[in-house]
Amino acid sequence: MTPPVQSTPSLLSSAARVFDLSLGQMLWSRRSVFLGVLLGGPVLLAVALRVVTVLYSSGLRVNGAEAAGASVFGMMIWLLYIRFIVPVLGVFYGTSLIADEVDDKTITYLFTRPVPRSAVLLGKYFAYLVCTVLLVLPSVMLVFFLIVPTGGSGIAEAFPALLIDLAMLAIGLTAYGAVFTLVGTWLKRPLIVGLVFAFGWEPAVLLFPGYLKRLTVAYYLQGLVTHQMPQDSAVSMLLQVFREVPSVSTSLACLTAIILGTLWMAGRAVADREYVLEQ
Amino acid sequence: MTTRTRYFVIVSLLVLGVGLGTGLVAYYVGLPAGVFAGRGGPDELAFIPRDATVIAFANVNEIMTSELRQKVHRALPMQEDGQRELLDQTGINLETDIDRVIACLYPDRDSANMPGAGMVLARGTFDEVKIEALMGAHGAHVESHNGKRLIVGEVSEGHPASFALSFMESGLAAIGSTKLIRLAIDLHQGGANPQTGFESVTGNEELMNLVRSLDSGNNAWAVGRFDALSSQAHLPDSVSSRLPAITWFSVSGHVNGGIRGIIRADARDEEAANNLRDVVRGFTALAKMQSGSKPQLQAMMQSLELGGTGKTVALSFTVPSEVFDVIGAAANRAVKPQGH
Repeated sequence: MTPPVQSTPSLLSSAARVFDLSLGQMLWSRRSVFLGVLLGGPVLLAVALRVVTVLYSSGLRVNGAEAAGASVFGMMIWLLYIRFIVPVLGVFYGTSLIADEVDDKTITYLFTRPVPRSAVLLGKYFAYLVCTVLLVLPSVMLVFFLIVPTGGSGIAEAFPALLIDLAMLAIGLTAYGAVFTLVGTWLKRPLIVGLVFAFGWEPAVLLFPGYLKRLTVAYYLQGLVTHQMPQDSAVSMLLQVFREVPSVSTSLACLTAIILGTLWMAGRAVADREYVLEQ
Repeated sequence: MTTRTRYFVIVSLLVLGVGLGTGLVAYYVGLPAGVFAGRGGPDELAFIPRDATVIAFANVNEIMTSELRQKVHRALPMQEDGQRELLDQTGINLETDIDRVIACLYPDRDSANMPGAGMVLARGTFDEVKIEALMGAHGAHVESHNGKRLIVGEVSEGHPASFALSFMESGLAAIGSTKLIRLAIDLHQGGANPQTGFESVTGNEELMNLVRSLDSGNNAWAVGRFDALSSQAHLPDSVSSRLPAITWFSVSGHVNGGIRGIIRADARDEEAANNLRDVVRGFTALAKMQSGSKPQLQAMMQSLELGGTGKTVALSFTVPSEVFDVIGAAANRAVKPQGH
């Protein structure tokens, strides 16, 4: 009697299995509390601003003039989402995709399944993407409808910019997630390196003229932003002065290259690396 | 996928779907102004035709009882001509009868009148019988339009458009061009309905957004379409080509002890706004420099602040009550020699 032949599932179907398993784990983990606070913040701020505009007839004023809701929304997209939330989510989730399994010593169980190693990484990466996109985009949507109708702005005029914002944030989450997934597969202490990259290297090189800014994700992501960069601090003023905006097509091409390149390298790293779990 | 994960995905997609759907409807069809922000502005806007080029509002009651008004009245006790003429012609006392007024200018395509037909909607307490009798004594006759009485004044020479008054509802008087009053009555009786061709400014979202921002915290404001006004003015090319590329302009202010206000202009694009900002900055600097020798005006000049972002240019100012003391004293000096 010949034993039944067990065919190895394809990369995509294996990744789908891992995705299904990881999405629930990712959503209902302790990290989700952090994610909830992080994304609830802008919504609460928007509610507070809306309450202020309703209670105080003079509304929200900047330099004596009532601030248009669309401008306030643009400022929130820049300061909260692009400069903070998207990189933070990328760092915290991206670096932990494989590192957490190594720390918990559970990676062996995944790698002993009859699925390609890179499918494990891909499934987890898609789970990260769905989890963050489904949290960030509704948060932006709520902020938009709370803030934009105030101060003389209208939903209709600001709507095309919202669509661009949603697409840009989704691309940002994809790019940062891919970069930090690679960091997570390569390094032993990826979180620190990730934080240094997102909040040290990126803001620093963007401040100065030169080619170094091309080695960041933020440079290309900022090329997709339609809102005017806020001039809220001396750093912002410097950023404005040395701001060199790549074209949308260049930004999209470079971000696509970053995403595919880093994911491919991360997949190779997971497939080739021998994980020795500490006892 | 567990049940709660499935619920999370459904709720997230629902928020996104509803938001995108609402945005698309607003973008392609348009949502009534104020669906998400309250309509804003005085209720009387519902009786102003959609194409009005200028709309102005004043809370007369607040302004008349303000410290500034009392001060000006004490300094210059003579009664204003316009106020007396209104009292003589219609029996309406601006000081006691009117709570608030909203006025508009409407491009009258049938006449070459500049700046077009005008109308004032006044909310207050009116003695309708007395006013009608007084206007009748001045040659006015009564007509009926859409079930409302229309008191049409005698057309005087040099005023081709006839003048009318109608009490649209208890405590709301409409005074102005007969054609415009008829339109206001149609809007009052039938409401705005694009199918019948009657639309009020409340359906003009761009204008209502401006009105909402002006109406908050101010007791007087005016907003107008600069390009429409300048095109109606039939200016020579040499003049019109030098006018700044402004689409909307507005002035808003709060009158109490002094006047605090903002003059705002929405330029056609950011470049035009930057140019306008440069011009205003220059004039502001000149004015501040000139006021150096006049300490009474210094506080006012120092309060000038240029603001606004993108296509918007805003100049905020504060006129302290001391400035009106100076004006009052100067006016009294000018009046006294004539009295002797």
